[in-house]
Amino acid sequence: MPLIKDKQFVDDPFTQIDDQAALPDSPVIVSLARLQTEAQTLAARNQPLGVIIRADNIGKTKAGENVRDLTDYLPILSLVALEFPEFRNGRGFSAARILRDELHFTGEIRAVGEVAFDQWAFMMRCGINAFEVGAHVTLAQFSEALGELSKAYQPACDDKKPILWRR
Amino acid sequence: MYRYDEFDQQLVNERVAQFSGQVARRIKGELSEDAFKPLRLMNGLYLQLHAYMLRVAIPYGTLSARQMRKLAHIARTYDKGYGHFTTRQNIQYNWPKLAEIPDILNELAEVEMHAIQTSGNCIRNITADQYAGVIEGEVEDPRITAEIMRQWSSFHPEFSYLPRKFKIAVTAHKNDRAAIRFHDIGLVAVKRDIGEKNYEIGYEVHVGGGLGRTPFIAKKIRDFVPKAQLLAYLEAIMRVYNMLGRRDNLFKARIKILVHEIGEDEMRRLVEAEFAHIDAAKILAVPKQELDRIGAYFAPPNYESLPAESDILDKARSTDKAFDHWVQTNIVDHKIKGYAIVNISLKPIGGVPGDANAEQMDAIADIASQYSLDEIRVTHEQNLVLPYVKKHDLKNVYDMLAAQNLATPNLGLISDSIACPGLDYCELANARSIPLAQEISQRFADLDRQYDIGELKVKISGCINACGHHHVGHIGILGVDKKGTEFYQLSLGGAGDETASIGQITGPAFTGDEIVDAVEKLVTSYIDLRQPGERFLDTYRRVGLTPFKEQLYAPD
Repeated sequence: MPLIKDKQFVDDPFTQIDDQAALPDSPVIVSLARLQTEAQTLAARNQPLGVIIRADNIGKTKAGENVRDLTDYLPILSLVALEFPEFRNGRGFSAARILRDELHFTGEIRAVGEVAFDQWAFMMRCGINAFEVGAHVTLAQFSEALGELSKAYQPACDDKKPILWRR
Repeated sequence: MYRYDEFDQQLVNERVAQFSGQVARRIKGELSEDAFKPLRLMNGLYLQLHAYMLRVAIPYGTLSARQMRKLAHIARTYDKGYGHFTTRQNIQYNWPKLAEIPDILNELAEVEMHAIQTSGNCIRNITADQYAGVIEGEVEDPRITAEIMRQWSSFHPEFSYLPRKFKIAVTAHKNDRAAIRFHDIGLVAVKRDIGEKNYEIGYEVHVGGGLGRTPFIAKKIRDFVPKAQLLAYLEAIMRVYNMLGRRDNLFKARIKILVHEIGEDEMRRLVEAEFAHIDAAKILAVPKQELDRIGAYFAPPNYESLPAESDILDKARSTDKAFDHWVQTNIVDHKIKGYAIVNISLKPIGGVPGDANAEQMDAIADIASQYSLDEIRVTHEQNLVLPYVKKHDLKNVYDMLAAQNLATPNLGLISDSIACPGLDYCELANARSIPLAQEISQRFADLDRQYDIGELKVKISGCINACGHHHVGHIGILGVDKKGTEFYQLSLGGAGDETASIGQITGPAFTGDEIVDAVEKLVTSYIDLRQPGERFLDTYRRVGLTPFKEQLYAPD
C-alpha cells in the first residue's frame, strides 16, 4: 500500500511478517506476541524493528492489545503500527497519544487498516505521522484533509496552539 | 451569554464548508450512503422514517432572542413550520431536504449555531441546569464549566470515534434538574473548605449513568476534582473508555456497561492512574485569564433594584384566575429580589410535547427581547425558560404567551410529560409516543384535577432506547411491539433528580386502548393511598409497588 509519512509519499522499507515466518535481512514489523517472545533475537538484528498493535475485539476484555505492553521494548522499536480495523474503531487515537505523551516514543507511528480521509487530521494531532493510504489517494487530497480545520480548541500531540490557551 | 470570537466563528465556518462539500459529493453520487453516513452523523443529520432529520445544538440550553428568531426562520423556510425541542436541550427539524442542509448550516452559523457533534459516537452537546445563574443556592454558574467543556470537546482529535455516543451534563446546585446521574459523565460543582473561611470550587464526578435498554445510575468516582484539573480528569475518563469500552456489541458499548462490568472501584483505579499520567503533563490546565474571559460572559446582568413583591402582580393575580394559576405553577423564585424565572410549557393540552411552531418561536424571541434580557433557556423536560423577568412584567409576559397558546399552567403536572418522537417519526420506534402523551393530557385536562394530583412526571418512550426517559418517570411508559401490535409497559417510581432511581415494571403490558385507563388507575390508587403532603413519588416510595399493582391488574 502507498505510504504517506511526514506529509510525503515515501517508499516503505518495512515488511510485515507472520509469527512463523523466518526473519528477512531487512526492516520488519512483527506482532506484539512475537516481540514479547523473541525480543532479544529481534534486538540483536542490525535492522530497524517495528511492531503492530491490534485493536480489534480480541482478548478477554475484547479491548484489543494494550499499547502499554510496549513500554519495555520501545528502546528497540523504530516503528509502532496501530491497526484501525474499521472506520468506527478509534482505539488507535488513544494508543497514539499514550505512546507520544506518556511513553515519549519518538519513532514512527503508522496508521494501518480502515483509515479514512476524514480521520487523517485527527490522527496527526494524536501523534500518528505515517499513513497507509489507498492507491487513489493524492498528496493534494491529503493536504486538503489536514487543512479543513485550521485551528484546534484543545492541546494534543502536535504544535497547534489550542484556542483555549492562546486568546 | 457566551459570544463567539473570531476563532469559534472560523471553525464553525470551516466545518460548514467541509460538510457542504460532502453533501455535494453525496448528491452527485460520488459518495455512497454508506460512506456518507459517518460524515452526516458528525454533523447532526439523521435519516429517519420519512425524511432526513437535522439536530441543532443549543449548548447548555442557552439561546439568545436572535438565535430563536433564526430557528423560527429555519422552521418556516426549510421545514414544515415547526421544530421540536429535545431532552438534551437541542432542537430537531424533521423535514429538511438534503440539498438545503448547507443553506441551513450557513444560516445557523450567522447566529453562532451549528449541528456539530449532535450525533455520532463523539462527545455530544454539553447540557446544564436550565436555571443556571438565576436560581438561589448555586455554587457558581455551571455554564462557565459547560462552555469550557464545549470548547474542549469540539473536534477532539482523540475522542471523535468512541465506542458509542457520549453525553456530559453539569449542575452547580444540590437540586439536580439536568439528570446528571443519568449521563455518561455528570458533574456537580461543589465548594471545598480550604481554611481561614476560604473555599475553592471543584467538581463531584459521576460516571456511567444512562437510560436505554440497560439503565444505570451513575457511580460517584470522585468527591472533588479541583477546577484547574477538570479537563485532565475528563480526558482520563474518556481515555479509559476509548481504550476499554466494548466495540464488539453495539448494545454494550456505552461507558455504563464498562463501569458495570469492571466495577466502580476498578473504574476509579483506572481513571486515577490515567489521570496521574495526563495531569503530570500539565498541558490541560486552562489559563486563569481564559477562565476569567469565559466567566465574564456569564457574569450576572445589571439587575434593577426592585421591591420583593409587586403590587401590579398581586392585583393581576387576584382578578385573573387563569393568570394566578400560571404564576402558581410555572413561575420559580429568582435569586434576585423582584425578578422571576418563567417556565414556558411546550405541553399544551392535546399538543405534541416539545414542539413549537415558527410563530411561537418568534413570539418567544420578542418576549425575551422585551422582558428577559434577550435570553431563553431550553430544559431537558422539553420546555423553555425566560430567566430574567421582572415580577411586575409577568402579566404582560403571560398575555403575550397566552396569545400563542404558550401559557399552559402545567409545569411538573401530569400533562407536562416527556415523550420521544416515537413511531410517528423514528425508524427505531416500536410504538407511537406522541399520540399517547396527547391522550393522557386530554384525559387529565381539568386543571383542578391536575392540581389535586400534584407533581407527577410521566415519561413516554416508543422503544427500549428510552429517548423519552421512561425509566426515570414517576410513571414511565414504554412502547413495545408484540407481533405487530403496539403495547405499552408501565413502570413506577423512577426519578431523574438528585434522588435518582430507576422505575420498576408493574407487570404485563397494556394495549393502546387500555393504557390511558391504566394510568388513570395508578393516579386513583395514589389518591387513595397518599398521606397529606405526599407527591406520587413519595407515596410510591413509602408503600412500594404492590398496592399500585393490585389496583392496576384488579378485574373490573
